[in-house]
Amino acid sequence: MTRIDFRTYPVQVQEFFDLEPGLREPVVDVFGFYCSTQPLATYLAQLDEAGLDSAVMVALDCTTAHKSSVATNEQLADLMKLSERIIGFASVDPSDAGAPQKLRTAVDDLGLSGLNLDPALQQFEPADEGTAFPVFEAAQDLGIPVSIAVGHNWAPIAPTSAFTPMSLEPAISAFPELDFVIPHVGWPYVQEALALAIKYPNVHLDTSVLYGGRPESSLRRVLADQVGLDVCEASLREKLVFASDYPRVDPKRFVRAMQMLEFRPVTEQQILGGNAERLLGKKAAKNVSTTESKKGSL
Amino acid sequence: MKSEVIRLGIQTDHDTQVIDITDRVKEAARSTGVQNGVCYATTMHTTSGIMVNEGLPDVEDDIISMLQRTAPELRDDHRHQRFLPSDGQMAVNSCSHQRSHLTGMQVAFPVQDGELVMGGRQTIYFAEFDGPLYREFIVHVIGV
Repeated sequence: MTRIDFRTYPVQVQEFFDLEPGLREPVVDVFGFYCSTQPLATYLAQLDEAGLDSAVMVALDCTTAHKSSVATNEQLADLMKLSERIIGFASVDPSDAGAPQKLRTAVDDLGLSGLNLDPALQQFEPADEGTAFPVFEAAQDLGIPVSIAVGHNWAPIAPTSAFTPMSLEPAISAFPELDFVIPHVGWPYVQEALALAIKYPNVHLDTSVLYGGRPESSLRRVLADQVGLDVCEASLREKLVFASDYPRVDPKRFVRAMQMLEFRPVTEQQILGGNAERLLGKKAAKNVSTTESKKGSL
Repeated sequence: MKSEVIRLGIQTDHDTQVIDITDRVKEAARSTGVQNGVCYATTMHTTSGIMVNEGLPDVEDDIISMLQRTAPELRDDHRHQRFLPSDGQMAVNSCSHQRSHLTGMQVAFPVQDGELVMGGRQTIYFAEFDGPLYREFIVHVIGV
């Protein structure tokens, strides 16, 4: 089974900045990341040290809100050419009427495998049927998952209270075939995220809980104390997806934090890769289905 | 009097490891042309170290074990385990800083007739305590 880090950002990878001058500015001003870069080879060694095979790296299109992108779909596609271990997720600006088509291009032409959205940073309303829903519809048609940030946000200019997990419910119920992944178990609105994940088959939770203390302690406080390990085993085995939020923290410590929860082996396998593989596999399954359908209609 | 600083890079592969850099330090010192003086090898980081010990795998393992026992990672009473706004990332590597502190950031050897003066069992190591990372250390030679 492939072990996958389901949400990382390319903002500490030197090769990402080599692609285009000027990328540093939105990383600092919008995303709020200030550390020096490391070579891609070093990042891949960090995946090795963490026991991870692949990582989802996400774009983030903040054109309307901040007149820039933290990473574009094209830059992600270029990074993917440097290592097959990188799985690129697109981002589009829902305030842009052309966003659904841009998403289709990113998936069909650039080979990206999912959608990343951050309503607080991108300044859009996820329940808006006129702007957000066409993007969700395109993602559902494409068979890709959407990682959508709510609750706590480390970007200094993104308000924490702007969107809670419940703000996603209209979209979650309107697009039942679209898989939504809520980062960091929606912290600090953990119970809202839990309620959605238990109720809706298309809601998943990523594990990148980071707010203070060691990853081991913060993850335990949320998954063991607030959610309950018994609930994780019984109701969330197919719903929890491992993610580190790199480079906000290093993946090796976050994998260890997950393993220290001592889930049953089958549950741990699902969290560290099985669930992510299933979410990422829908697009391929959909492509096969479409091809078969076309063959049948001839 | 001559003073030359040479910056060298090193890719580490693991969270914790010691890497023999003796030949790189000797070669860098030689390249300065200084015949008599002193050579410093210094790490540029606060979660790594430069150390000297006998170049044997078992000695290396025992030193790492000693540092891990002395400065364990999984403690609740570290204060350096929080979000660091100036970095934009979590600072959860207190043990790495402590192991660096115990190891030291620098070693020095005399230079005589253009060569480092070292004991027969002495090996210079770059010590990684928060890898894998791309690191830098400097060789500074002062003399004539």
